[in-house]
Parts: sequence; structure tokens; C-alpha cells
Amino acid sequence: MDQRRDRNTESAEPLTQSGKISRRAMVAGAVATTAVAAVLPLSNSTFAQASNPKQDMVAFLLLSEALTGVSRQTLAPEFSADSNEILNSDPGIDPINVKNTYFEWITTHAAPSSIAKLLQIAKDSRKTPGAIITQVSASDDDTKFLARSIVLLWYLGSWYEPADLKANASPGTRHAISSTVVSAKAYTQGLVWQIAGAHPMGYSNLQFGYWSRDPHDLNGPNGGPLPLFSPSKS
Amino acid sequence: MAGNCITCDVAIVGSGFAGSFIANELSKKGIKVAILEAGPGVRPNFNAFMKTFYEAGAKVPESPYPPAVLDSKGKFIDPAHVAAGRPSALTTGSNWKDPKQAYLDQRGSKLPFKSTYERLAGGTSHWMGLTPRLVPHDFQMQTTYGKGQKDFPLPDWPIKYEDILPFYDRAEAELGVAADVDEQHFANLSFTPNYKYPMPRIPASLFDQRVGQALADLSDVDTAFLGMGKSVTALKVRSLPSARNSQPYRNRRACAGNTNCIPICPIQAKFDPTITLNEAMNGGTRLIHHAVASEILLENGLVSGINYITYDHEGGPRTGNRCLKAKIYVIAANGIETPRLLLMSKNEGKTPNGVANSSDMVGRHLMDHPQYLGWGLLPQPVFPYRGPLVTSAIGDLCDGPFRTQRAAFRISLGNEGWNSLVGGNAQFGSDPNVTTLDFINGMNSSGLNKQNFSQLADNSALFGTDLTRTLGNLISRQFRIAFPIEQSPDPNNRVTLSSLLDGLGLPRPKIAYDISDYTRQGFVAAVRLRKVIFKKLGATDFTERGDKDPAGFDMTIDGKVEQLTYGGAGHVMGTYRMGVDRKTSVVDSMQRSHDHENLYLVGSGTFPTVGTANPTLTLSALALRTADDIIRKVHSQKA
Repeated sequence: MDQRRDRNTESAEPLTQSGKISRRAMVAGAVATTAVAAVLPLSNSTFAQASNPKQDMVAFLLLSEALTGVSRQTLAPEFSADSNEILNSDPGIDPINVKNTYFEWITTHAAPSSIAKLLQIAKDSRKTPGAIITQVSASDDDTKFLARSIVLLWYLGSWYEPADLKANASPGTRHAISSTVVSAKAYTQGLVWQIAGAHPMGYSNLQFGYWSRDPHDLNGPNGGPLPLFSPSKS
Repeated sequence: MAGNCITCDVAIVGSGFAGSFIANELSKKGIKVAILEAGPGVRPNFNAFMKTFYEAGAKVPESPYPPAVLDSKGKFIDPAHVAAGRPSALTTGSNWKDPKQAYLDQRGSKLPFKSTYERLAGGTSHWMGLTPRLVPHDFQMQTTYGKGQKDFPLPDWPIKYEDILPFYDRAEAELGVAADVDEQHFANLSFTPNYKYPMPRIPASLFDQRVGQALADLSDVDTAFLGMGKSVTALKVRSLPSARNSQPYRNRRACAGNTNCIPICPIQAKFDPTITLNEAMNGGTRLIHHAVASEILLENGLVSGINYITYDHEGGPRTGNRCLKAKIYVIAANGIETPRLLLMSKNEGKTPNGVANSSDMVGRHLMDHPQYLGWGLLPQPVFPYRGPLVTSAIGDLCDGPFRTQRAAFRISLGNEGWNSLVGGNAQFGSDPNVTTLDFINGMNSSGLNKQNFSQLADNSALFGTDLTRTLGNLISRQFRIAFPIEQSPDPNNRVTLSSLLDGLGLPRPKIAYDISDYTRQGFVAAVRLRKVIFKKLGATDFTERGDKDPAGFDMTIDGKVEQLTYGGAGHVMGTYRMGVDRKTSVVDSMQRSHDHENLYLVGSGTFPTVGTANPTLTLSALALRTADDIIRKVHSQKA
């Protein structure tokens, strides 16, 4: 049946790491002691341009922030901005570190030249998210559809092949596109749930009865504005 | 082999609700029980199930549980190579007649039987957890509505509501039901004096509240078609009794609204039968897992043993042939696997039509609650994808004079937006994925990527805050409602044995299924009411049927041809019905075989009619009633 999407064959994080605790809760709590590198070495990567991996990760986050419309403080909760030069910022280590999962996924699944183009756009327009969007939209197809795949990754934790997006891009197309759940962790970190005021199904940190109240209700026990859209500090 | 048999007082096949409940009651009385479970045993925790679920591309009801339906490359595993197979939601689409993908052989069926079940310890743990009672008239359809009607399709039960009432109370205690009894007095439901449900009700979702307000004031002209025999000027949204903790109950915590009752509650706030099964095992019940019953043996009209096949791995092969001997036997293997076992039991040709089948009724009258589903978009957000999947329902229309002419229904209100399907069309997948993909790639599978919904250009492809704002706005306004419809019993809707085999070499179930005109007329009323409800809500209708939907059928409603389809409710019922007359039924009111006095057949397969209530509570109550009967028999034998 068309509803079926391919199962991920990559091994996922064990549940103890993917966790019962939300990124938000973890960050608000104790400092992580997990020794996860801020930037993973790009093993098996065909993306050769790893001359400055830390700066590439910052560029990836700036790109992702502009394209997803979600603040980098949500994408990378331990992001520490350099006030002189944003590209010299520290992307930070957080216990979930889904940014590393995604960046490594992209470097092993997408064309190196398109990744390089997207990172260069982010570096060139690092101060104006709107300009990043404009330049990505004006790029060649390979670059533009990779950008869409990256947003889908952040929103859903699933990988849609850029070529499949391109093949179904005529306006108003109605068609299923197969995708791969990157990992259990990626599913539980999908952003679209929070954007809709909800939580990933099967992964809630809320308490009994919250569903009878508006998610934005400041008086509710889980109330308060969603942190997703808070402006970046830079 | 007989000398090599395991012996016990009572042998049970199947460890789901009915099997576990009976085992636990008998164990409490010191009766020696052994259960044969076709699938794996009880897991120490749900972590592996949750990981499998999170990683599953299609998060269908079976997705957390073994055996795998797809291999590591995403290809279907041929059910001929699965030891204890079962149907899957992934095989009810265009591949429903492909026996290399679908476990059930439906090649000769008119319409697809769309419900699925599990084969593992605890049985169908992927249930929704909804536990309404049947209403008094559900037990007496012929007497109440069939008088003077030739060929009225719905018989009476051999018991009345009053007979099952005390067992409903006991089952609700075992399941841990949350509900407010003051709210449940409709359709002539009565309760034990001073009865209280074990826990307070589950709070209503924002969507429930919205529907309740919208339907508080209706025109009786708009609702006259319902045929309630009285004017209907309001529809009351009531909290739905649920086996879901609203406070800590028996060492399980309160619901945290994971919105995942189907397929799995990650914190076990929803009751599942492993809870009772574990108690039974603590009390001495022996669970023999990876053990598929293959034949019920007869001697002098009584059951003398059960042969079973053992295996180690999902894909087989068989590792042994063994047997179980007891004084009393209980088959609790569900509405498809129980008749399959009875029909397979040919006793070297001495019972060519199977065991317990002198009536030729075994396997007939297969029923579900086919569901008519409506999908819409509200003018304001109600924030779905939150809370239990269903918290409230409209039950008041489940009984009335219209039942002389058409099937009844209830209406359940979904809290999961467009997650199960988008607009009823299975071709595109489920939300939030489909709508997200639409607005990132300029597509319109959801139907939402139009200027009048997004306030942007048709078929927008968005990045940035335009994307967050648009998705947040639209996804938070989605809803679905479901009308589970009473299916009338039809002797031609039938489970028989296929020539196709499973991984242990046993014949797979073969299904013939259709939907009667009586039931279709229930769909007609549901369509009309759905339109009234959407209008009162100010909702935009997104209900559609996919091009290749094998469940599609057309009905002319108010002069217009409507393209309809249905979903399965997961309710497998009717295939070894109870009754007074041994010529037209398989078991008596105690669920004991008319043919063999030491054989009980339990579960929703004994329902002569199915009303509109989810069957688990009723089959659990009947199991407790049967347990009492077995205890009496065992004690009288010992005396």
C-alpha cells in the first residue's frame, strides 16, 4: 500500500539515550555529562570540505534556522554565539545533539557540491535569514531540493530524497513520496509537532489533563508560549 | 505422543483479554491452568516495542509488535514464511488480495475485511482502550425491533442486559475504567444501585468541548431522518468510559496524553491484558509461548487433548510437536483464529467439518464495526495530536425505532487530527507528514495548500516563518470523526480454511466478507448526520475516497451519488455465536460448546449481534461469567 514508507535500516540510538526526557527539559536541567563531540568526524563522508568542521556546523545551523523558521537556540540549545563573528560561535554540546545526527546524515546521503553551496550561502548571508531563503530559492535544482530535504528532516525526523522531491514538485501535485525515519531519536525530535502546539505521538512530557486546555494557556501547568519562535540572541 | 503430554486442570488457547481473565480467576481458586500462546511471551518492559514504533515508517496498529511485516529493505515478507502470522493494516489497500503480502486469504471476498489483530502474549494490546457497555436492546434485537418483519437479520442473545450487569461491574474493576456514572444514563442503560466506576472520567479535549457547544442547539427538521421516534434538538457529547487511568490504579500511573493508545501506550496507563496475565502467572498459571495449537482432539464426544507446534523464530521452522491434556478446555484465540483451529481439527477424518461444528455455524457471521469517517478543518484551532486518541463520544443515537430499518451507530470524536489518514485517502500517507511535505514542496496531497486556507498563493512552497505560521495554523484546526456502524450477521461472511499455508504448514484463514443493505442504510444516515455536524461546526469537508480504495461502495443519498468507504474497527466478532438453539448457534450462554461439554469457546466470536459498543468490555465480562461456570464445574468434579 502506498501509505507504507521504508523502514530505516540504520541502527538507532538506544532508548536510554534517545530518552524519555525532552530536549527542553534536559537543557533546563543539569549540564550534560555525556561526552558527545560537538562536531562529529565525518566518517564515511563523501563531503570532503571538512576543513573547518566547527564553522561548517555553525553554517548548517544558520542555514537551518533561516529555512525552518525555528530559532537556532531550539535547534542547538547549547549554541553559544560569538558576538564579533557569528561563524566563530560554538555550536555547543547538548544531550540530544540531533544537529550532529542530521549533519552526518546529509553528508552521507547528499551531493557534496550541493552541501557546499548551501553552507556557502549561509556563510555569505549569515546576518540576514531572509537573504538565505532568497538565495536558496534562486539556486540550481540540486541545491534547492536538498534544502527542502533538510527542512523535512528537522520537521519530521525523516529523510526525503531530494530527487524524489524534484520529481513531484509541479505545483499542486498529489502523490505519496517515500521517506526513511532517520532514527528513533529523530522521530521524537521532529519540530512540526511543537509547531502545531502538540508533541510527537507516543512521546509526550506533559501531564494528565493538559489536553482539555489550550497549549498557550499561561495559567495551565504546562502553559506558556512555545519556546520555538523566540528570537535568536545574536 | 500422549504419554509425553503436559497435563493441567484447565487448558486455555490464547492469552488475550478472555484467556488471561479466565486464567487469573481460576488461578485464584487454586486451579491448575496452562495457556498456549501462539506468539512470544510477556516482555519485561515496552522499550523494544517503543523503539520499533518510533523507527517505523508507517505507524500502523501492528507497527511495534512482532512478527515483522516488512523486511529490513522495506519489502513484504511472504506470510507463507511466518510461523504465527496475522493481518496488517499494510495489507488492506490495493494489495488486499495478494497472498504473498496478506496473511488472510481474501481472494474470493467481495469487500475487504479491514480489521487486524495480534498474536503475542496479551493478545491485541494495540486496542484503543474504549469500554462502553452494550445497551439493553442490543441483547434483544429480534424481540424489540424484528417483530412481524420477515428475515429481520438480527437475533436475540440468550442472555439479557440484567444477566451480564454484575459481570460488567467486575470487568470494569479489572480493566480499571474511568467514567462518570451520572453521565452514562442513555439508551436505557441502568447500573447497580450506588455503582461508581473505579476512577473519575477522563477530561474532555478542546475538540470535544467545541462539538458539544455546536450540537447543543439543533433543528428537529434537520435531524428528523434519524428516526429516533422523538424530536432531536441537541446531541450530547459524553465522556467515553475508557480503560485508561485518570489517577494511579493498581500500580499503574495516570494517563499523560501520549496520543498513542493505538498502537501502544508508552507508560501503560491504558490497560492491556499482560497486566492480568502477569497476575495469573504469579498465581500459578503456566504460559507456554511460541506454541501454536494445531488440533483439538476428541474422544467419546469430549475433548481429550490439544496438539500444538513449537517454534523458536518468527520465520519458523517448527521445532517440535507436543500436546496438552486437561479436564476442561477453553479456546480464546479470537474471532478468526478460534474458528480456524476448530475447522483444522479433523481428528483423522472423524470430524471432517471440524470440532464443535454440528451446526455448521463455525466461522459464519463474521462481523466488524465498519466505520464511516469524516475529515474536516475547523475555523479555529482545537489543537489535536494531544490527549488520548478519543476522550468523548455521542452515544445517544445507538438505539431507537430506526433499528427496524437500518443499522445503528455511535460517533467517536478523534483527538489525533489527520494522523491516521489524510481525508480518508490512504494513498498519500498520514499527517503531520503529508501537510508538511505539501507546504515545503509546493504539493497539495492534503487539499490544504490553497489560497483560501493558507492566505498565500495556491500550492505554495515555503521556508522560514511563513512555513511555521502556516503549518501551525492549519494542523491545529484538523479533526476527524468516526461513526462505528452495527454490522448485521450474515452467514456468508465467513472464515474457512485456505489452501495457502503459513510458516508452520497450517492452512491460513480464508475470508468472505460483504456489507448488508441493513448496514449500508446505517452509512446513509451517518453521511446525512455528518453533514449536519460539519455545518454546525462551520467546518470545511475534506472527506474523500482514494481512487483505488478496495473498500469503496456507492450509495445514492438525497438524490446524489456518494462515494463511500469504510475503515475497520479492529473488532473481530460473531464467528461462533451463542444461542439457545444448537442448530443455529455454536455455544450456549455460558460460552460452552453445544457439542462437547468440556469445551468453552470465548471472546467476541460468541456475540450473536454486535451493537455499537467496542467489544472488549463485553467479552471480558462474559469471560468472567464463564470463569465462574468453570470453577463450579471443577469443584463439583472434585467433590
